[in-house]
Parts: sequence; structure tokens; C-alpha cells
Amino acid sequence: MKLELGNFYVKDIEFGAKTAFNDGILTINKEEALEVVFKDNHITEADLRIVKPGDMVRLVPVKEAIEPRFRVGGGPVFPGVTGKLMQAGEGETRCLKDMSVLVVGKHWGGFQDGLIDMGGEGAKYTHFSSLKNVVLVADTDEEFEQREQQKKNHALRWAGMRLAEYLGEAVKDLEPEDKDTYELEPLTKRSKELDELPSVAIVMQPQSQMEEKGYNDLNYGWDTNRMLPTFMHPNEILDGAMISGSFMPCSSKWATYDFQNFPLIRRLYQEHGKTINFVGVIMSNLNVALEQKERSAQFVAQMAKSLGVDAAIVTEEGYGNPDADYIGCLVALEDAGVKTVGVSNEATGRDGGSQPLVTLDPKADALVSTGNVSELIELPPMDEVIGELEALARDGLSGGWEDDEVLGSSVKEDGSIIMENNAMFCGDRIAGWSPKTMKEF
Amino acid sequence: MVKEIEKAGFTVVQMANLIPVAKTVGANRMVPTISIPYPLGDPSTSKEEQWELRYHRVGVALDALTTEIEEQKVFDVEI
Amino acid sequence: MKKAVVYLNQFFGQIGGEDVADHAPEIREEKVGAAMLYNQLLDAEVTHTVICGDNFMGSRTEEAVETILDFLKDVDFDIFFAGPAFQAGRYGMACGEIGKAVKEEFDVPVISSMNIENPGVEVFKKDIYIFPGGHSAAKMRDDVKKITDFGNKILNGEKLLPAEKEGYYKRGIRHQYFLEDETPAYERAIDMLLKKINGEEFESELPIPELDLVEIAPAIEDLSKTTIALVTSGGIVPVDNPDKIQSASATRWGKYDISAMDKLDNREDLAFKTIHAGYDPAAADADPNVVVPVDAMRKYEKEGRIGKLHDYFYSTVGTGTTQKEAARMGKEIAQELQDANVQAVILTST
Repeated sequence: MKLELGNFYVKDIEFGAKTAFNDGILTINKEEALEVVFKDNHITEADLRIVKPGDMVRLVPVKEAIEPRFRVGGGPVFPGVTGKLMQAGEGETRCLKDMSVLVVGKHWGGFQDGLIDMGGEGAKYTHFSSLKNVVLVADTDEEFEQREQQKKNHALRWAGMRLAEYLGEAVKDLEPEDKDTYELEPLTKRSKELDELPSVAIVMQPQSQMEEKGYNDLNYGWDTNRMLPTFMHPNEILDGAMISGSFMPCSSKWATYDFQNFPLIRRLYQEHGKTINFVGVIMSNLNVALEQKERSAQFVAQMAKSLGVDAAIVTEEGYGNPDADYIGCLVALEDAGVKTVGVSNEATGRDGGSQPLVTLDPKADALVSTGNVSELIELPPMDEVIGELEALARDGLSGGWEDDEVLGSSVKEDGSIIMENNAMFCGDRIAGWSPKTMKEF
Repeated sequence: MVKEIEKAGFTVVQMANLIPVAKTVGANRMVPTISIPYPLGDPSTSKEEQWELRYHRVGVALDALTTEIEEQKVFDVEI
Repeated sequence: MKKAVVYLNQFFGQIGGEDVADHAPEIREEKVGAAMLYNQLLDAEVTHTVICGDNFMGSRTEEAVETILDFLKDVDFDIFFAGPAFQAGRYGMACGEIGKAVKEEFDVPVISSMNIENPGVEVFKKDIYIFPGGHSAAKMRDDVKKITDFGNKILNGEKLLPAEKEGYYKRGIRHQYFLEDETPAYERAIDMLLKKINGEEFESELPIPELDLVEIAPAIEDLSKTTIALVTSGGIVPVDNPDKIQSASATRWGKYDISAMDKLDNREDLAFKTIHAGYDPAAADADPNVVVPVDAMRKYEKEGRIGKLHDYFYSTVGTGTTQKEAARMGKEIAQELQDANVQAVILTST
């Protein structure tokens, strides 16, 4: 399977008469773009904004981030989600780099939503603070969940994907500046040189813990709660097969943008043929019952063994009870003779004194830590808020609160905030970007 | 929490789905439940089935309270 | 000028040797012995020296600690030093005991120095900053320099670096940290993986700590004479959540009267629901007994298998709750249970 990702580096974004990409400038016809957003009549209000690194702008509640793309030869960017089901990971897809579409609730937030500061001290916390972003800020008539802490955010997330596809069409007829080529030979048809290198897989555990549909990450549109671990080609992940869900405390989240760019996968590709033989992806999931967790770990270990995997990276989109899936999977692989490295965040509490993961095992002896979900973060007011700052305190964001005996409300009268890292949008960058680790103090 | 209660001298049994978690936090007597969101009654089964399961597993927990143990122990359930 | 207090034993406080190790605690408004060295090196003035015999502290710990805390009640100080204790075991334990108590009582930074062989390190490294020190007083100047340098950083409000950089013994307190060179996690992961594959040494970013177990409580002899309480971390509360228990990172718990109930009614009946944000609430909202099995316990009570179901159940939320908070809430609940004469507990968690 061979995938070419054609790169168009976006140097600036502006509104203008015609949606087009010229010399690094993405121009957007706002009216036309909003028509795409309003195609779903559950969207009641919508506006587009452009924010850039350094802007003193705070975005909250942020629900999703997507890289705008265009699939050459036709077909949806997200097969089975924004259009018909088709094979992802083959052929050419064009990407608007250094930018994303961010989806922000105009009013209502929830447990799974987060915050992004584009400038100032808070900008160091998220990958998206370093990108140019088209911000869709909108409201919906999904009143059934307005006051619910857990929101599916369906209309908003899908509007974001439509918008990303619309913007991607700007490069439909253009030649990319450069291309990244991703190709793996079929497993049984690899050269002797490759076969002699250690075989490495990546095991992904996307968030899939809601039993009700509409909250979990989707695999080609299929709810990941309803799947058993399966073998996938890494190109599929990089090419829109997986989309993010709407459930997990936000710093642990993998946005759809993260799946599209998954740095751990790209890094394994770089080593392919040099130091490792990259086998592919074992797509597992996260579960709510012990037996389900054990079943998934068993499937993963069996698959790794059958595929001849010598070593694996395991990474989870979450913390708390999903740590049992994570550690369980690492242990099952080690027991099967597979050398493992885990990548995840920790939850050591605001005081740093709590057990880092809810289950621990000495066999998990090689772990990379990307942050502490409960770290307290205080940030000054910003010049502007896009969305609604009050949502951080009012709507049960996982890192926000309405009142606390000692700390008061997350949102202060002057617009400054105090929150847990939990509410930082994809703040622990578990997909691999995190410049953070955990240290003893 | 379970440790503080046991430290205070109470005989305590933890009913939890994630036994590895309960073990890691230091529970001594443990009885497994069927899931995280519904430890003692699967909503996709009938009310009667849920009741039978709950009555049984709570009964196992009561057995656990009356059992002397030497080390951390997970008590077996039948349904 | 900020102010410091220094704790020394009878020897370094110039009272005498082993023969006066029973010396009772005293406080002097002056710089005695090693306190003078502290005063030279600190960006603060050492205003008081506390001196106590090692045997006094060792054998009459509570009395010694109380006396010293009482001395310090009216003293204005910003930082507290104890030692250095080198390899002297009793001195190390004394520095730890008083350091821990001062930290708890006055919430000021407490810093000590001990040789790694000193038993005080293992016992107190989680409570106060302890720096590795030499075997004997020959290292006095080096050891005091190390801890006053660190003390000065704190006094001057400088950013503190991780334990490995500052040099004190690790305390089991973990915080997130932006790496100076910003090496992203994917590089660290690949690097660790290749090392592990090649059998080279690597360093996990999360070393697995040892399990901390409590003594097993004895079995209940006769359940039919026992009052049993239900406690849950599953966040079951009355629908209006009267104690405002948080959905995650909880710091509050509630107790709810069930003495007149055969079961817990649900959210639709405006009785009980879950506010736990870490799991799908549908099933618990529809039937809270799946989390807090009041109905089953009532049945066992009627059958005479148990003496009594305690009149209240206790509830909080487990997700994201710090160990410290969970331990505090656990203690508070345990106290309630003791007062109510409960003998056994079923704890349900989600």
C-alpha cells in the first residue's frame, strides 16, 4: 500500500472573494464556507475566525481539530464518515500544512472539551497554538445535551470535517510543494534485509469507552467500542480512517488532526528499513469491563505473536481506568516475548503525590510520560475569547470547576483562569509531540 | 480510601470491576463486579437477572468479610 | 531580610557529647555552632538555634516535638534547617521528626542533609527536602553549602528544578516538566525502543514504585451481629447533589440516610443519580442499586444473615481524585463509621 501526502505549506490565512490557495496564502470566501457549515440544519449560529500564533486570543470550549485535505481522484477525506466507505491509505491526498480547522462551541462546553491560548504563557501547552487556525465557532439546536456534561457534539464535529474538506478543495488542481511517501511492502513479501531487522508494531488504544453510540472514536465510521483489536496499515490512520470522538478529558485526547499526522507512526516510518522493520498498526481500543480489557490485550498479544512482532510501542488515549487496558496490554505483550515501550500521560494529582497510573506492573519497564492531567495551570486574561469563557467553569470541563473552597471558580472576574491541565486541548500530545515529561520534585 | 478504612480497623471488602486497580491501590479482600458503569447489574439483561447477580455477588462479599486471609485475595463468583 | 531557624543536636549545638544526649530541647536567640556557618551562607538571617539531645528526641519524641513547636509558635521565620546529620542515625531521625512536624505546623520549607546510609533518609525523604551528605562532620561545610544554596533559591523565589537536578533525594512527588531541549515524546519513545531492542540501558520516565499494603483486618466472626456500611466511589448522590461533590478530582464526600429505604430509587423518581464523570452514567441513573446495592443488603438484613445495614451510605467520586484527598476522605469516613459503631464495610467502586 502506497500513500502520497502532498504538502501545501500555509504561510497565512485571510478572508477574500474566492476560496483559493496562492503562494502559501489560503484565502477563504467566508460566506461560501459558512454555507458548507449550515448544510446541517442543526447548526443554528456560526462564524469563522482566523487565529495565528502569538495572537492574544483564548479559545474555549474547543471540541475538535482537523487538517484540511483533498483526496485526489475523488472520495471523502474521512471514508465512512463524511462520505462513502472506501479504502484509505492508498493513492494521493493533499494536505494544507501548518494549519488546522478548530471547532469551538459558541456557548456550551462539556467534559471532553478544552482550551487553547494562541499567545502568551498558555501557548506552550498545545500543538495548535503553533498553527494557523480557521476557527469555526458555532451553536446548535442539540438541546438534549446542552446541559449534559457528556456531549456528542455531533453537529459541530461534522461541520468541522465538512469545512476541512471544503478548504482542502482549494488545492484540488495544484501541485504540492513536496510529497511524503509512505509505503510498506506486504508482510510476507519483504526483502531479506528487512526481515532481518527487528519487527516493530505500534499498538493504538483509541478512546472507546462509551457504550452509547456517538461519543467514541470511529474507525471508518465504525464505533470503536464495537470492535476487537484489528490489524491496520499505518497509511490508513494517516489518511482519514480514524476520527476523534467526544468523551475523554481533553488533555488526553487525540484530535482527528492527531490521527492524520500521528507523529509516532511517522517516526516509525523513518526508521523503517534502517533500524527496524515496521510491521504496521494493531488497532486496539479501551474498555469498561475487566473481561473486555483482558480480551483486547489477549487479541493484541496473539496478533503480535502471529505477525512475528519483536517490539511494540503501545499508546493510550486516556487515563484513569484505561490505564488498566494500557498496562494490561503492555504486560500481555511482554509475556508474549514482545519488547514494549508505552507512551501515555500520568495522573499524579495537583500535589504530584498520587499513584501515576491506576494500575502498575514491573513488566512495564519502559514508559514515556507526556504530562500530568491534574497539574494546576494559572493563566492571565487574554485580549479576546472566542467561544465562551464561562463554559470552563460552568459546563463541567474535566479541568474546570465552578467553585472550590480554596481556589474559587476556574474563571475569574478579570478573565484570568485557573484550571487543571485536564482541560488543555490535547495538552498532553500523547500522539507524540509532547515536549513534556514527568519529573520528581 | 479502602486502605484508610482498613487501617482504621474495619474489615472491608472492595467490590470492583478492575481487580488490577484494586490490587494496586492495596485492597486486601476483593470481589469482582461485572463492569465499571454497572458493577452489579447489566442493564441489557432482565431485572430478575440483574437482581440475582447482585444478590449473589453481595453475598460473596459477605462471605469475604467472614474469611481469614493471609494475603490479597480475589473471591470467586458464580454469576 | 528573611529569617531562618536551625535545628542542631547536643553535639553540634555545643552542649557536649554522648553523655548529654538526654539534653532537653532548648531554643536560643543566637547563632550557636553550625548555625554561624548557615548564617554566612544564607540570604537570610539565622535568628534562632534549636538544640535537642538525640536521645531525648529519640525516646521522648512527642514531648520533644511539642516543646519545640511551642518554642517556635511566636518566632517569625521563613525557612527551617535541620542537621546536617551525616551518617548519625539518631540525629538523622531527629532532624526528620522535627522537620516533618515544623513543615506540617508552619508550612515553611524544611531542608536537611544526611548521608544515604542514614535511616532518616528512607523514613523522612517524602516529608522534607533531604540532600545527600557526607559520612562525618569533615563534610560540614560542603553539606551546609549544598542545602543553603537550595534554601537561597527558595528564599529568592527562583524556579526549582526536578530533584535529580537540585540534588535532593526523590520524594515520590511527580510533576510535569517541559524538557529544556523540547525532545518530543515520539523521539524519546523510539530511542527507548531501539535501546531496549538492542539490549542497551534505558531509563523509563515512569519507574514503577513498590506496592504499599496495609495490614489485613481480621475476619468477622458473626455477621448476624454485625452492622455493615456501604461506601462508594461511584458518585451516587441525591439528584440535587446537596454536598456539591465534584464529578472528577473530588475533595468532598456525602452521607445519605437510607434507613427508611428498601432500595435506592432512581434519577427519574428524583431520588438518586451518579455525578461521576468517568463512566457512562445511564445504567447507574436508571438503577443506582447497581452501584450501591442497598436492595441486596436489605434482603440479607431481613434474612438475618447480617445484623444491620448501617443507616447511611457514604459516597464520593474516585476519578482523578488525588491519593491525598482520597486518604483524607477515607479517614473522615472511617471516623464516622467508628462513631456509629459500624464493624464492617463493603466498598463499591466503578
